[in-house]
Amino acid sequence: MKTNFLKLSLLALVIFTASCSSDDDKNTTPPVVVTTKVSDLPAPQTGGGQAGPASGEFTKFSFSENKIVTTDKWDIAFRGTVIIVNGGAKYNAADTGEPARTGSGSVSIVSGAFASVTAFPAASTFAQDAASAYAFPASGANAWYDYNGLTHVISAKAGKVFVVKTHDGKYAKFEILSYYKGAPANPDPSKTEDTRFYTFNFAYQANSTTTF
Amino acid sequence: MKIKITLFALFFFFQISFAQEIQKDSISANELSEVTVTTATRTERVVSSLPFPVTIITSEAIIKSGVTRLNEILNEQTGIILIPDESGFEGIQMQGLDAAYTMILIDGVPLVGRTSGVLDLSRVSVGNIERIEIVKGASSALYGSEAMGGVINVITKKPTGDMFSGSLSYRYATFNTNDVNANVLWKKKKFGANLFTNFYSSDGYDLDKSTSLKNVEGYYNTTIQPKLYYDFSENLKLIVSNRFFNQKADNVAEIESEIYIGEAKENEWNSQIKLEHKWNSKVYSEYELYTTNYKNDSFLKDESNVLFEQAYYDQWLFRPEIRTTFSIKNDKLTTGVGLNYETLDRTYFDSNVNFNSQYVFVQYDYNPSGKLNILAGFRYDNHSEYASQFSPKLAVNYKFNNNFSLKSSIGYGYKAPDFRQLFFDFTNPSVGYTVLGYNVAEDRLNEFEEQDQLLSRVAGISFEKPLEAESSINFNFGGFYKKNKLKIDVNAFYNLIDNLIDTQAVAQKINGQNIFSYTNFDKIFTYGVEFNSTYSFTKEFVVSLGYQYLIAKDKSVLDNFGEHQYIRNSQLQTVEISKSDYFGLYNRSKHTANIKFAYTIPKIKTDINLRVFYRSKYGMFDTNNNNILDKYDKFVNDYFLTNLSISKYITDKLLLQSGANNLFDYKEPTQIPNLAGRQLFARIQYNF
Repeated sequence: MKTNFLKLSLLALVIFTASCSSDDDKNTTPPVVVTTKVSDLPAPQTGGGQAGPASGEFTKFSFSENKIVTTDKWDIAFRGTVIIVNGGAKYNAADTGEPARTGSGSVSIVSGAFASVTAFPAASTFAQDAASAYAFPASGANAWYDYNGLTHVISAKAGKVFVVKTHDGKYAKFEILSYYKGAPANPDPSKTEDTRFYTFNFAYQANSTTTF
Repeated sequence: MKIKITLFALFFFFQISFAQEIQKDSISANELSEVTVTTATRTERVVSSLPFPVTIITSEAIIKSGVTRLNEILNEQTGIILIPDESGFEGIQMQGLDAAYTMILIDGVPLVGRTSGVLDLSRVSVGNIERIEIVKGASSALYGSEAMGGVINVITKKPTGDMFSGSLSYRYATFNTNDVNANVLWKKKKFGANLFTNFYSSDGYDLDKSTSLKNVEGYYNTTIQPKLYYDFSENLKLIVSNRFFNQKADNVAEIESEIYIGEAKENEWNSQIKLEHKWNSKVYSEYELYTTNYKNDSFLKDESNVLFEQAYYDQWLFRPEIRTTFSIKNDKLTTGVGLNYETLDRTYFDSNVNFNSQYVFVQYDYNPSGKLNILAGFRYDNHSEYASQFSPKLAVNYKFNNNFSLKSSIGYGYKAPDFRQLFFDFTNPSVGYTVLGYNVAEDRLNEFEEQDQLLSRVAGISFEKPLEAESSINFNFGGFYKKNKLKIDVNAFYNLIDNLIDTQAVAQKINGQNIFSYTNFDKIFTYGVEFNSTYSFTKEFVVSLGYQYLIAKDKSVLDNFGEHQYIRNSQLQTVEISKSDYFGLYNRSKHTANIKFAYTIPKIKTDINLRVFYRSKYGMFDTNNNNILDKYDKFVNDYFLTNLSISKYITDKLLLQSGANNLFDYKEPTQIPNLAGRQLFARIQYNF
């Protein structure tokens, strides 16, 4: 009995040491972050442009739940071409359609191909919404879209990846693919009923590591 | 259409059937070797020995081609291409530089009236042209602003010696195009006169019959050019030359599905008074006073005849200039001094604006031996609205022997900010954006702010320093080779252009639209090679081949390629592209070529002239949203164009001509709106 136990423990020891590969250099591989595609997320808006200030409810989205939510547990929200993050303060306190910020979300903008963005950007690059200042820039080099004055097409900028610190402190990255319903390769901007539908890829890092 | 083709075919056979006996060869041979030009150096110089690239178009070549307007004949030259810019205005592109950078002269004095920098060259009829001299490369050392890409001088016919001669011609072409010319040259002893009149009308053309707008609406114009000559003596000659041009065109616009109809009128008047004074065999002066006025009025009315929009443009230029050339042994020293007074009054300008500038230029033409020629010169411009410009130029030509010479030049060119870039004040009524000229922007922005119309101003933009002129450095290196039946001309060029002026957003209005102004931006460079050759198989059959290789790129794109390196593929996925994928500037083809066949049949006094042009693919817009033209964008396909004309002299005085432009009817309505499709024509000309 004793010998069997000894043999068994020796065997267990051998198996145990053999199964331990010498991977001191390698990090433990985190679970693979999956890229999910969200298609045609509606972001309607009333008014705006020449017709006065924009109004209407923002469409709230949660990365962890991968769906539109109506609760306070949202990460980013869309209305027309405006995107807001659940962190900071309301852009326009008088706008009833704009949800109050209930989380500590923020966003950082990175240039690169979606799959190549693996490390989280430095904490100082993250910004939250504030009164009269969007964290997602509405214009300039870091806006999510370009408006072509000749063709009137709103096209999502290539190589623009948004790394979002979610309302509860996790990280997600997303890249907008299209602003038009069905994400056509050549959108027809005159079909206004097909605008304000977001198609985007995102990846959500549920763990507390610092990479995607 | 079918009737017209039969008519033209009949015309052609009618000519052939008039076979003449062998007569004296009235069709002159193509001998260009001793032609002299004056544009390149402001003195008379033989083309083949000039130290920089010069092309000549003779009146014979113009007649044989059968074209009627200046833009058409220029489009047929190697290295010159006619392109419409984003606003649709056609201008010429030379060495990769846009139309705004080439100066157009008529008898040595400039044409004004540039819409967005582009001069409409169809304003000039070719009916009385003696010769067109084209100087490529920066020529600001003699001509000042606008001569950055080069200078094109249209020299009109003038009477030489006692004579009375002239020509009358009528040409009819597709699109109901009529061109009537009358030119009379008279000289008797001390007096001379030249009267040229031209009437041109066209119905325009429509490539897409489904829209209510035509590509070019119907128009007609008249040109009258009277010139008087008086020779006080052999050494003092007076020339008074006037040019009147009037054009009326239909003006049609479709705004938000409503059709508006009106008219656009252009009126141009030039007056040049020149005194040619030969002090002695060594000193020669020219005193010149030039005035020109260009007016453009247009209006649009809606369907109930109510005035919708009205615009006007009224530009004056007043220029006195004195040039003197001193001959020192084999060398020549040319000096000149002058001033420009220019005013512009137009819609979208707050008030009448004017420019004042004075200039002086010096050029030394040094010939130490029969083989070496060195040209050095500079011009200094002092301007009221922008920094003074100093434009030097140095050129060398070495003649190894009569058959071979090499030339090289380096020169500085510039283009002053124009009225529009400095004083424009325009708000688009339907979209709501505003464009402000640089000099009025600060005040107007403050006004907008006081009226609470501004949302924000873009940080870092200041209008304190005056807007700089666009400038360039140009290198040319080439050679000329001649042997028996072959002539070859090669020129390699490089242009480095700095401070290009373009628009940028400077503020945002509360209606969400932007306010734009102008600023000095980019650095672009163009380089390439131009090749021209002529081979005379026999005296009757000459073939010429021309080719240009051109690369034109924006240096700031290459320096900041990170901003442009991502595009989306057809699955909307982001793809990274490399610097070598950057194609270059819009509207420039890497390869353009032409081949021309000239075949003469002296027995029946007939000339057959066939020209084939090739233009390689080019991009008009950025189609994949990275703000540059890269090889993944959509391009306009390359194409060939063929022009054919057949001329026959019935007697020594009567010429019949017929032919076709764009013989194979190549069209691309969506991408090339200025290509009209096949145009057949027939012309009759009587020379006396």
